[in-house]
Amino acid sequence: MEFDVPDEPYYTESHEWIELIEDTVRIGITDFAQDELGDIVFVELPAAGTDFDAGDDFAVIESIKAVSDVYAPVAGVVADINEAVESEPELVNEDPYGDGWLIELELDGDLDTESFLSASEYREQIE
Amino acid sequence: MSQQFQDKKSESRSTESPFAPHTEEDVQAMLDAIGAESVEDLFDVPSSVQFDGSFGIESSSEQEVVRDVSDTLARNDQLTEFLGRGRYEHYVPSIIDNLSLRSEFLTSYTQYQPEIAQGFLQALFEYQSMLVELTGLEVANCSMYDAATALAEAALLADRVRGTSGSKVLVSDLVREERLSVLENYLIGSDMTVETYPTVDGATDPTALADNVTDETVMIYVENPTAVGTIEENLSTVGDIAEEHDAAFCLGTDPVALALLEEPSNVGADVVVGDASALGLSPAYGLGLGLFACREDYLRQVPGRLVGASEDANDNRAYTLTLQTREQHIRRERATSNICTNQAWVALRTAIHVAWLGATGLVDLAEECVQLPRELAADLNDIDGVTAPVHDRHHFREFLAETPRDAERVAADLESNGFAVHAVDEHQVQVCITDANRSERDEFVEAVREVVA
Amino acid sequence: MQRYNQAVWSETDDSRYETLLAEKNEQTVDVEERTTLPDELTRESVTLPELSEPEIARHYTRLSQMNYGVESGPFPLGSCTMKYNPKFTEEVAALADAAVHPDRSAESTQGTLAVYARLQDYLGRIGGMDAVTLQPPAGASGEFTGILVARAYHEHNDEGNRSKVIVPASAHGTNFASAVMAGYEVVELPPSDDGRVDIDALEAAVGDDTAALMLTNPNTLGLFERDIEEIAEIVHDAGGLLYYDGANLNALLGQARPGDMGFDIMHFNLHKTFATPHGGGGPGAGPIGVTADLAEFLPSPHVRADGESYELYEPERSIGKVHGAMGNWLVLLKAYAYIERLGDEGLTDTSAKAVLNANYLGSQIDLDIPFGPFHHEFVASAGDRDAADFAKRMLDYGVHPPTTKWPEIVSEALMTEPTEMESQDTLDQLADAFNAVAGENEESLSTAPSSTAARRIDQTSAARNPRLSWHALE
Repeated sequence: MEFDVPDEPYYTESHEWIELIEDTVRIGITDFAQDELGDIVFVELPAAGTDFDAGDDFAVIESIKAVSDVYAPVAGVVADINEAVESEPELVNEDPYGDGWLIELELDGDLDTESFLSASEYREQIE
Repeated sequence: MSQQFQDKKSESRSTESPFAPHTEEDVQAMLDAIGAESVEDLFDVPSSVQFDGSFGIESSSEQEVVRDVSDTLARNDQLTEFLGRGRYEHYVPSIIDNLSLRSEFLTSYTQYQPEIAQGFLQALFEYQSMLVELTGLEVANCSMYDAATALAEAALLADRVRGTSGSKVLVSDLVREERLSVLENYLIGSDMTVETYPTVDGATDPTALADNVTDETVMIYVENPTAVGTIEENLSTVGDIAEEHDAAFCLGTDPVALALLEEPSNVGADVVVGDASALGLSPAYGLGLGLFACREDYLRQVPGRLVGASEDANDNRAYTLTLQTREQHIRRERATSNICTNQAWVALRTAIHVAWLGATGLVDLAEECVQLPRELAADLNDIDGVTAPVHDRHHFREFLAETPRDAERVAADLESNGFAVHAVDEHQVQVCITDANRSERDEFVEAVREVVA
Repeated sequence: MQRYNQAVWSETDDSRYETLLAEKNEQTVDVEERTTLPDELTRESVTLPELSEPEIARHYTRLSQMNYGVESGPFPLGSCTMKYNPKFTEEVAALADAAVHPDRSAESTQGTLAVYARLQDYLGRIGGMDAVTLQPPAGASGEFTGILVARAYHEHNDEGNRSKVIVPASAHGTNFASAVMAGYEVVELPPSDDGRVDIDALEAAVGDDTAALMLTNPNTLGLFERDIEEIAEIVHDAGGLLYYDGANLNALLGQARPGDMGFDIMHFNLHKTFATPHGGGGPGAGPIGVTADLAEFLPSPHVRADGESYELYEPERSIGKVHGAMGNWLVLLKAYAYIERLGDEGLTDTSAKAVLNANYLGSQIDLDIPFGPFHHEFVASAGDRDAADFAKRMLDYGVHPPTTKWPEIVSEALMTEPTEMESQDTLDQLADAFNAVAGENEESLSTAPSSTAARRIDQTSAARNPRLSWHALE
């Protein structure tokens, strides 16, 4: 099965994507991840202003039979959350890189892009 | 024909268990198919831990067991119970046994295959709906074990939903010791402890309550009616106090009381717990049905099973267990509770009872619970030296009576006369009257007159 | 193949079977008109169904026809022990003498207490345990109680700093949740390649912070933990206690006893092993047994014989209560009657036939069973099929499917426990159902079931848009 892996964002081994938008990063889960989870029925996001270290679980995504944590790829403070996925969790299934994004973090420092996977590296990982 | 059939059965049945159908020939054929020499060979148990002793339990025929159990239980004294304090008896109509004992209900499992279990799921959905109607809260689960464990689960829920951490569960001092003990055990894994606030003349006094509430208070628990049968008069104020301190307001009650007394949602209750088996079941030595309802905001934190409506592949309405990711079989150590097996069959019985009573019947039954204790208290109050009720308030099903003699002695003497009451304090007995024991009222009053003299 | 079609009732054009509170049934009662209480103490109104008794009888009879129980057909649901529930146990539970109030005096309830004392004694002998409490109302409650007892024991020995409970990855979810509720951190133990406890991993996991190891034996794959004595030694040497999850005791009745294997605490699932009905989810009962050292910590009150009579008392260092009264009494009573009926030989024969049945069924199905030798249950793999779809299709053959997708160590797991109640013929019929489904195409599985009261139910919309009462229906 062919999964969508757009070129622009960075990726993590735990199937999150990260996109730099000025001083903040937008984070979501990949097409592969949403497919693995199946129909998503509930997304729990943190409150704006919450602090996270890299590697902390910041969100919970539930399908019918499974619960998955989503990990913060970088440290930062929650600047914005995508409230739409709280009321319409199916957005994560339908448009994981677009309307299904999860949160935006204000970075503590610069983004260390070296620690992430590029699109081509991520494609290799999920093959 | 039938003789031959019997002979075949008795000749070749290998079994010592009457509930395993195998003949000797079956066992041999099955072993051959498996490729094993003997049934013993199928056990992969080291000899050092094999059990070759005997339990010393003799098997008996069905007839013998029924007789033995009947004889054993007949050692219970035949008493007319005027007992309550959280466990109540109302007449259970015949239809409840008849329908709930249908094996399709009784011998079924939790509805993990909903397509083949629509009947029980719909019955539980209706049970949840009845509790939603009676409490005014949006969510009711399929059951907890009993009132005490439902209360304990409510405290754990209150802790989870609260924005800031706190350390106290504040409970009316009228709540039974047994419930507090269960609550304390359930709080062991949290940072919370239980404190009581003093009631005044058998009910919550808003000032006394407010004095005991702090920002550390996670939940306030009040029962209505109280364990001594009084009806609370300031519940809205309790709701306000709880809200001011960001504490959850948990109300303890039962489905009969709910039909008449203030609607929990109207007084600001966030969670309602209690024993719902007051309808549908005998006192059953305390086998209960934990009622649990709460506000929709808490949906994702509810303990226990929930039935929801959905559609099947033909777009017909269908029911299924839902939001199971809260539960232990999926979320394991992060589950909202460890509960798995619950009291579903009792919930079925309670639902049938509510349906049988209907709205009118349930409200009228509840009103009887107001009038009967009023009348009985008046009769007892006429006895020299007896004051009943002790609290000058409205009561539901039961009340305290002050006697001139030691309460334990009064209770023991009444027992000799064929009646059971609670001795709750040095000179106070508690008396409960419902439709189930009202026919013995006059005899009871006479017995009390005799024993207090 | 047998034919099967479950009853389905509908009353409306859109094939819906109405809930009790369909508009035609509802009645709103003005409460204030019917009470002598002042208005400020009462609610205004109540809306509930208002049906005649014949209508209620028909409603629930129809619902029962849309439900499947042990008497409907085979029910090989792994880990659940869906065995026959003898009718006479309902008769004894219905005795008027069984209906007493929990606050009756001990003197006036000698019959009830006699049953408690005898059942405590029976279970102690069956489990090889020195003391038994009947208070926990379900298996999970038994686990919680058992871990509370372990905690009280450690605290009493000034070892309250023990903070971890070890649980194998394949254990029931309740083990994890119960340990956390009792205030412990859970350490998950990965299995060895043969599906049993990995001794090296266990040795690495135990330490002076170990409070207990919770173990199911036979485990959820039906495998006996052959190294149980070594496991017990490792845990005990570290100062921990060994907890036995009794979910699979039906495999071992009369063959081996947890107490003899080195377990310190165990729970019994009376609704599994001792044939009390599951009731669509409960009530069950989860008594726990403990060794003599732990008896003083058991819940209060406990029952003991005092000469010819029985009394209630509080064990010296009791943990207090885990149920408001004395547990699920009627369930206890039914289990007591069942044990008396079977006796030693019947109980031992029960596990023999349960293990024989599982092994026979396993030998008759065309699916891989990766782990063995198994006892009362086995976990087959649906292979490249989705186990959940596989199960749905089995429904069409008039059998209840196995537990699916668990334990995860077997891919697309079908956890199968036929119990002792099934005959060879029924097991053959069950095997036919397994094999027929194994031979069908993917579409047939993914569109199943079609013989049940409802077709495949949309779980996703049920969870995304929860409708939990008739108030939420349109």
